[in-house]
Amino acid sequence: MIYILEDAINGVLMGSIYGLTALGLTLIFGVLKVINFAHGSLLMVGMYAAYWSIILTGMHPYVALIIVAPVMYLFGYYLQDIVIKPIFKAQKDVREPITVIIVTTGVWYILDNLTLLIFGPAYRNIQDNPLKGKMLEIGEMFISVPKLWGFVTAVITAAAVYWFLQKTRMGRAIRATSLDREAASLMGINQFKVYNVAFGIGTATAGIAAVTLVPFNNIFPSVGVLFDIKGFIIVVLGGLGSIGGAILGGIIIGLIESIAPQFMTATWTEAIVYGLFLVVLFVKPSGLFGVKYDW
Amino acid sequence: MTRQNINRFALIIVGVVVFGLPLVLRSPTYLHILILLYFYAYLTSSWNLVGGFAGVLPLGHSAFIGIGAYASTILSLQYGISPWIGMIVGGILATIVGILIGFPTFKMRGAYFALATIAFGEGIRVMVENIDNLGPLKINGPRGLQIPPTNIGFANYMFAGKEPYYYIILVMLVGVLALTYFISRSKLGYYLNAGGEEPEAAMSLGVNVAQAKLIAMAMSSFLTALAGTFYAQFTLYIHPKSVMSLDLSFEIAFIALIGGRGSIAGPVLGALLLRPVSDFSRIYFGATLPGLHLIIFGTVLILVMIFQPRGLQEPLTRAYNRLLDKIFGGTGQKEITHEYS
Repeated sequence: MIYILEDAINGVLMGSIYGLTALGLTLIFGVLKVINFAHGSLLMVGMYAAYWSIILTGMHPYVALIIVAPVMYLFGYYLQDIVIKPIFKAQKDVREPITVIIVTTGVWYILDNLTLLIFGPAYRNIQDNPLKGKMLEIGEMFISVPKLWGFVTAVITAAAVYWFLQKTRMGRAIRATSLDREAASLMGINQFKVYNVAFGIGTATAGIAAVTLVPFNNIFPSVGVLFDIKGFIIVVLGGLGSIGGAILGGIIIGLIESIAPQFMTATWTEAIVYGLFLVVLFVKPSGLFGVKYDW
Repeated sequence: MTRQNINRFALIIVGVVVFGLPLVLRSPTYLHILILLYFYAYLTSSWNLVGGFAGVLPLGHSAFIGIGAYASTILSLQYGISPWIGMIVGGILATIVGILIGFPTFKMRGAYFALATIAFGEGIRVMVENIDNLGPLKINGPRGLQIPPTNIGFANYMFAGKEPYYYIILVMLVGVLALTYFISRSKLGYYLNAGGEEPEAAMSLGVNVAQAKLIAMAMSSFLTALAGTFYAQFTLYIHPKSVMSLDLSFEIAFIALIGGRGSIAGPVLGALLLRPVSDFSRIYFGATLPGLHLIIFGTVLILVMIFQPRGLQEPLTRAYNRLLDKIFGGTGQKEITHEYS
């Protein structure tokens, strides 16, 4: 029994990090109504940025946040501004332009393979970091310390994004745009600016998630794909556009992944996750906290 | 010579060239590249029936390739049934799966539909990877199935040279193009078009959009599965990562989008442009610059989406028509350019 509890706790911790990786995805969807297929690749870019800042300076992994988060914000801001905005401008009347989904897929391919070209296919990890392999012993249970840090970071980030959306002027503009583009622009909101900021914040949260992953996860050019697919499932499960839903969806996936192997071959858990995803899509496409209108 | 004759003449020339090519081109490498080019053009044209005409973005079509490949291979390996029959069985199986997928997903919005098809495709791949034996059927999980090249002959869909494969996939490609041509000019084609562009308006005019999309999906999955059998017989080795991968699904969609989805020539044009890029960059830069062709794919995709969202076939068709106009002094009947012609 104690093992199941141990697995459950570690599952919740890992799941919250999954949720953090999906946070940007859900935020970007909420505003742009577009699934950002490049999100996993942005996470991967964040992981490389964190890796190199830690390796080159020897700083504590979490100190890298002060470099990675702003850099990723700017990266996302200008990615949206330069690559995606032209399409939105060309197809103003389309609520959910498929072409934008496709362009983000193009970004995904370019980023992943450019990284492969520059850094090679090698798996990297940070050998001597103060968090690596650390365990917290509670009774007979072992809790992973880097994942505990990740959990705390995920909760703080989600709360901060939520606060930003609720309380700041820009946050209100973002929410207004996500509810109704035309009405928001009529109220004097520059919707393209809002898209840029939302994309920037989404990318910055991917950068934060990357920092939480770097102490214990391998870093390689296609690492994003794993989190990409998981992220899609999480955001639909939680409800596209919902901040809390993303974290909760992540925790559900984390729990399935940690507890299901007790009862079956570990590789089957992936099939269960896909099955659950499809059930949610068919039974309640708006997810746990989504807005009904959006599907 | 009139315009129509010119078009017919060009078509005949192209036909003679593609059918006569193996007589001149003896290099197996180039034949292999051409076969794969037609294979992708065929897959993309089949995808186009749903992804192009029905106006949705399916990203799980490799599941159908896998179903076709596995059905015919299992039947021929374990029961000695000719892959030609297995091909039809695989096609029917894929059609059933396609309808099962299409039924609940077609009412979803764009992003959800794309995600649902990804989940279906990946879910089927994960299942195949985890199953060694399904009842009496040996699937062999992630290790895949190997076809021993022993019984060479037409009945066994197995040939010593590459030429027969070349002609088989060419005939399949011509068939699917002809089918696309007739569908685009049929009631079904117009229904799909209307449903893809403005589903609410189409439905209010009495068009059964969901039914039209389901028919398109059934045809598309059937045709895609046939290509799976072809691939299995051509390479003689299939495993889930090769015939069911997400990358394959995406590549099909990429080719269609760059060439121009919803048009007849688009998929062929896309394959014609992209396949050589990927083959030659793999041959010449595979060791030094891995993934170069995917960077090119991504860049071309983004540029095409920004500057020619209807794909590259549109400017090329326009240029061709302008050329004819010049020759005939603009007297040629102005073609009515609706988007999906």
